[in-house]
Amino acid sequence: MWKDVLNNSDKKKKYINYVNDWEQKIHSFLEFDPERTSAESLSGGGRFSGVPYAVKDNIAVKDYRLTCGSKILENFVSPYDADVIGKLHSSGAVPVAKCNMDEFGMGSSTDNSALAVTNNPWDTGRVSGGSSGGAAAAVAAGLVPFSLGSDTGGSVRQPASFCGVYGLKPTYGAVSRYGLVAYASSLDVIGVLSRDLNLLGDVFDMIKGQDEKDQTTVKLDPDLPSDLQIDDGKPVFGYLGGDLGLDKSVEAGYRNCIDMLIKQGYSVKEISIPALDYVIPAYYTIATAEASANLARFNGVRYGYRSKGAETPLDLMKKTRHEGFGDEVKLRILLGTYVLRSGFQDRYYIKAQKIRTKIINDLASLFKTIELLILPAFPTPAFRHGEAELTQYQQKVADKFTATANLAGIPALSFPAGVYGGLPVGLQLFAPHSREKLLLKGAAIIGREIPVPEVPGYRSIEDICGGQGR
Amino acid sequence: MDKQDKTDKKDKTVFETFIGLEIHIQLITQTKIFCGCRNSFGDPPNTNVCPVCMGYPGVLPVLNEEAVRKSYLMCLALNCTLSEKAVFDRKNYFYPDLPKNYQISQFEHPFGINGYVETTLPDGQAKRIRIHEAHLEEDAGKMIHEGAVSLCDFNRTGTPLLEIVTEPDFKSGEEVESFLQDFRRMIRYLGVSDGNMEEGSMRCDANISINYPGKGLGRKVEIKNLNSSRHVKLAIQHEEIRQAKMIRSGETIIQETRLWNEEKKRTESMRSKEDANDYRYFPEPDLPPFIPTASFIDEIRENLVELPHLRRKRFITEYNLPSETAEFLTDEKGRADFYESVCKEGTDPQTAASWVKGDVAKVLNREKMDITSSPLTAERLVSLLKILDEGKINGQTAKKVLDMIITENRDPVSIITEHSLEQLDNSDELSSIIDSVLAQSSAALEQIKSGDMKPVGFLIGQVMKLSGGKADPKKTKEMIMEKISAL
Ligand SMILES: [Zn+2]
Repeated sequence: MWKDVLNNSDKKKKYINYVNDWEQKIHSFLEFDPERTSAESLSGGGRFSGVPYAVKDNIAVKDYRLTCGSKILENFVSPYDADVIGKLHSSGAVPVAKCNMDEFGMGSSTDNSALAVTNNPWDTGRVSGGSSGGAAAAVAAGLVPFSLGSDTGGSVRQPASFCGVYGLKPTYGAVSRYGLVAYASSLDVIGVLSRDLNLLGDVFDMIKGQDEKDQTTVKLDPDLPSDLQIDDGKPVFGYLGGDLGLDKSVEAGYRNCIDMLIKQGYSVKEISIPALDYVIPAYYTIATAEASANLARFNGVRYGYRSKGAETPLDLMKKTRHEGFGDEVKLRILLGTYVLRSGFQDRYYIKAQKIRTKIINDLASLFKTIELLILPAFPTPAFRHGEAELTQYQQKVADKFTATANLAGIPALSFPAGVYGGLPVGLQLFAPHSREKLLLKGAAIIGREIPVPEVPGYRSIEDICGGQGR
Repeated sequence: MDKQDKTDKKDKTVFETFIGLEIHIQLITQTKIFCGCRNSFGDPPNTNVCPVCMGYPGVLPVLNEEAVRKSYLMCLALNCTLSEKAVFDRKNYFYPDLPKNYQISQFEHPFGINGYVETTLPDGQAKRIRIHEAHLEEDAGKMIHEGAVSLCDFNRTGTPLLEIVTEPDFKSGEEVESFLQDFRRMIRYLGVSDGNMEEGSMRCDANISINYPGKGLGRKVEIKNLNSSRHVKLAIQHEEIRQAKMIRSGETIIQETRLWNEEKKRTESMRSKEDANDYRYFPEPDLPPFIPTASFIDEIRENLVELPHLRRKRFITEYNLPSETAEFLTDEKGRADFYESVCKEGTDPQTAASWVKGDVAKVLNREKMDITSSPLTAERLVSLLKILDEGKINGQTAKKVLDMIITENRDPVSIITEHSLEQLDNSDELSSIIDSVLAQSSAALEQIKSGDMKPVGFLIGQVMKLSGGKADPKKTKEMIMEKISAL
């Protein structure tokens, strides 16, 4: 049905109205342009021919803006397509929107966007999560069947869990980063968000693969899912024991999921990750160190925002960066600059790399006894805008469950685990390196018992475009 | 000479000088180091640029294999130990002509370390210069200041740059100057760089320190902005005197970077160590480490040509050439190759050397041509010298033909045939020319008859002129003498 939406003017009109109604409430998109569809995409016989999708605004789509949620790139139009966009283009899928995000991917709420405030479709007083908040909200509200996000420390999975949808963070290097504006290059991965697990698997299948433009891409198991067949083999699940400091509703969702698996006859083991408490210091050290270099290119000389009235070239760069970046971005650049100072690397950057190695080893030995690990995505459900419920610092500490997978480079998927007190709760699964297929299988097993929730006001595309008007 | 200068001279003898070099060479490659843009000098500003080398958001570097190969070739020529796993690092500093505001370079694990290279000092002595390391990095763009505006040209951005760092093994500016000439010759031989200091494809910074003999290194000063090997020498000499003067008067040398002022012929302070950037190096996450396999190294080693100093030595012994001639012939690889191909075809090495060094060089110079790209192939020279050797043409004609080969791009045989330049071996024709010359030279004949042989040369000259240079001078003389005695 999504295939016909852009092809039929009556359906398209109904679709655009549906999107606009939602957008007045949630502001998930920075740009929405369903008219920019090329005839070839619609007429071609590709796997996703004519299917619209949305793209986080740190992924380059030719002739679309590439703001990264920042004032410094507010009017920057991309001269090229990211590798993933090229691959989806060849399948016929059509990018119709760019999604709001925390500036340069730095945040867990999308409130750090300099350009718009995105609300959670379940409760507009709450955030949609971050940094791929727009991409998650749009999918939850049914504005697109899938969206592309990026995940550096949980930026796909946390908003997906806040909005009640699936969010996949692939293995590091499984998907080309060419065209993804770098936050932390050794952790960044492009991921997929969708309410439909099969579709999510298909999209991943489409965008994965080695790319000569990204030398960090790796060869993966060629046998990846196009159709999710759950065979009789029952994977062994592990889960984190002890007090994880979870909010009541997340605790309840977590318990419920584990109990359900036990009841279904799956073997479930309690495990622990010894290095888990070191994840956050290591993650923020590595991520900010890389960010301090990655964001150095934004200086007003060649493109983007340029401060007026600078006297010298150095002055121009200073003023541009002072005026163009938001506080959270400046904080992380400063932190990253600090940890890389000569003479201090042993204490911070190198120590963080050692922790990273420890985490990789911890998980590798864990995956000798279990096949999939279930853990929370975030300790709380969607919180309210502002820092009243969760300060920026608490938001960072809360990244530990998601950032672990980024440090280890393994694939992870967040999945809806029920609605508690009117808000969705999400959990996540970890699988060993390059075992996305296993990850999707695990999510499908759980999805049979705990289905994807529908946000009030959600309508399927068949319903939107169907005969009866509104 | 005033008093001050004399003191300087005296000071200089008291101290020991240590000089180390950081040499940057732009590698000759089709494309830039991390993108597909053309690597070429002198194009209109900002024409060889793309999102990658302009540091656009979202782009990634892709390492150019040709640049890696040339780097390793250089590392082998410098006898370096190769890193098992070479790592690229980000060197962070802000400058408008550096698009990403970090330079991708190599810091802890460069391609090569601990090498050495042989050089010949001005006095003919051989000296081994130790190489600290050789690492690959990207060049920055260029900033041009025009009045109140600053403009950037990013054509040069991303040109592959190999930095070679020597140990402080040089003792004087003269040593450095002659080393740089040797070094330049070597990189041109290897084909890794054209080593043009004026165009900046070879750049050199010098670290210099002086100390009382036996006390080891002093506090080093770095000198930048050195655009020719002569300026490197002058700057070092100036700096030696400046530092000696300071130590003499009890001042402490400041560890700093100084710029060579070409006009004022002096070094000037640019920045002290305190102002120096903290480059905050860390491993480049966008590029995997480079691990050179044994077969990769073997393949590179096959391209390792005989280096100029070794070839010079061989020319002296193998072809029995004077060292000056050998030096000239081996100065450019193309010239040495040309010479050896001519010899290989059986030409006498001495004859070949005197032609290549003499008339060939003269004509090529005049035509501003390079021997490798000129119409004069080794085959053509061999063929010309063979015709000369067979006595079919004389030396003068041979020079004329050589000129025509180069300017008209033709074979010697076709030139000789078309212009009928073969010597007159037809005695009748020569005889009648001599007769007509003798008929008009009664005075000269009188003189010769009276026993004064001086005018014979004049008569030969007249015959040569009339024959259009085709007469064999030896034969002409014989016939003239024959005819005169018969008169
Ligand atoms: Zn380029």
